[in-house]
Amino acid sequence: MISISSDVIRGYNDTIILFLLLQHPSYGYEISKQIKTLTEEKYIIKETTLYSAFNRMEKNGYIESFSSDQEGSGKRRTYYRITNLGRQYYQSKCSEWNLTKEVIEHFILKEGNYGNNQKLSRSNVC
Amino acid sequence: METIRNYLEAMFANLPNTPEVLHAKNELWQMMEDKYNELIADGKSDNEAVGTVIAEFGNLDEISEDLGIQNVVVNKKDITRRNVTMDEVKDYLHERINYAYKLALGVLLCIISPVGAIICDAINISDAFGILFLMGSIAAAVALFVYSSIVMHRWDFLKQELCSIDFATTNYVNEQKEKYMPTYALLITIGIVLCVISFVPAAIIDELDISFFAFDMDDLSGMILIIIVAIGVFMIVLCNSISNAYNSILKINSASTVSGNYVSSQRSETKYITPEIATIMSVYWPTVTCIYLISSFLSFDWWYTWIIWPIAWLVNIILTSILKKQ
Repeated sequence: MISISSDVIRGYNDTIILFLLLQHPSYGYEISKQIKTLTEEKYIIKETTLYSAFNRMEKNGYIESFSSDQEGSGKRRTYYRITNLGRQYYQSKCSEWNLTKEVIEHFILKEGNYGNNQKLSRSNVC
Repeated sequence: METIRNYLEAMFANLPNTPEVLHAKNELWQMMEDKYNELIADGKSDNEAVGTVIAEFGNLDEISEDLGIQNVVVNKKDITRRNVTMDEVKDYLHERINYAYKLALGVLLCIISPVGAIICDAINISDAFGILFLMGSIAAAVALFVYSSIVMHRWDFLKQELCSIDFATTNYVNEQKEKYMPTYALLITIGIVLCVISFVPAAIIDELDISFFAFDMDDLSGMILIIIVAIGVFMIVLCNSISNAYNSILKINSASTVSGNYVSSQRSETKYITPEIATIMSVYWPTVTCIYLISSFLSFDWWYTWIIWPIAWLVNIILTSILKKQ
């Protein structure tokens, strides 16, 4: 089974996290769980990756952290919420991705068209 | 859960003790704990849950930049600290406790060594027996000191080399220490009380001027004083030596790394506002003891001078609360 290379997705961890924080403030495990369910377990984010992203985005002012009790359990957690700067950053990342996708799309063959049919697809592009 | 905690602690053990590192450790622990709890709630076995959490933890290299510890993670993955295993620690504690008994017994023998001479004097037999007893008990004490310290030599590396212990071992030693604390408190209290009231029987005997069979009790009052002091000192030396054994293990990890935080008692040592005050406060109890002994011997009013102890204790509490760093 193909899995996502962490090099490729690294630039978009921020986008993923900011998207989830746009809905409502959240905490580490909840975000990693949402990523897992939304991608149907195709992408499981590592704890260290997640922490690194939080830390970096907080320094850049895209998110803010605050400590809060979880309903009922009385356990204190660090929650994160998105800032206005974060929203702007998210929008620019979205446009960046659309552009990236558009550019890369030109070079991606349709499934089943690899190898022998290279000539055919090249003529299609022309 | 214990396994995950040990894993995380082991990953962080050699990292510097900075706010950034501790923050990262806390956050990662929150996430791991949440994940573990949810996996267990979903009906996974403990093994499966632990496996998943550890597999999905990631790599510390990834956050090294955030923590400003790049050099530590990359270059000093294993600083040259000798890891002391749980079994070694158990052996050490066992031998240290044996050693404590021998040490305390040796001190007791030294203190009671003049008793033979006093008895000989009281029952009017040759002083030679008294001297024999004196020499014999001191020789036995020296033998105990020498033998037990030679036996303990094999643990010298704990002091001479840089060592480290893991989180599970630290927890074990800390539990043992906590278990010993009630005994410690009892022994030290009885020991001090015995030393403080040691003169009471002698004073009563002197006052009443009683005699017991053929013995002149006046002569024996000194002996009773010595024996009471000896028992008191035995208790104090024993419990201090045993509690030192636990503390010496718990202090092995360097306080500048995360592993230095395993035990709260290490951190709870009182920190004073300035180093000068810390130096002055470190000689507080020895000074009080000196004042007590000097004033007592000069005045010989032992029934007044003991009052210095409760007063010194109160003053100590007040001073520490004023001079403590918040």
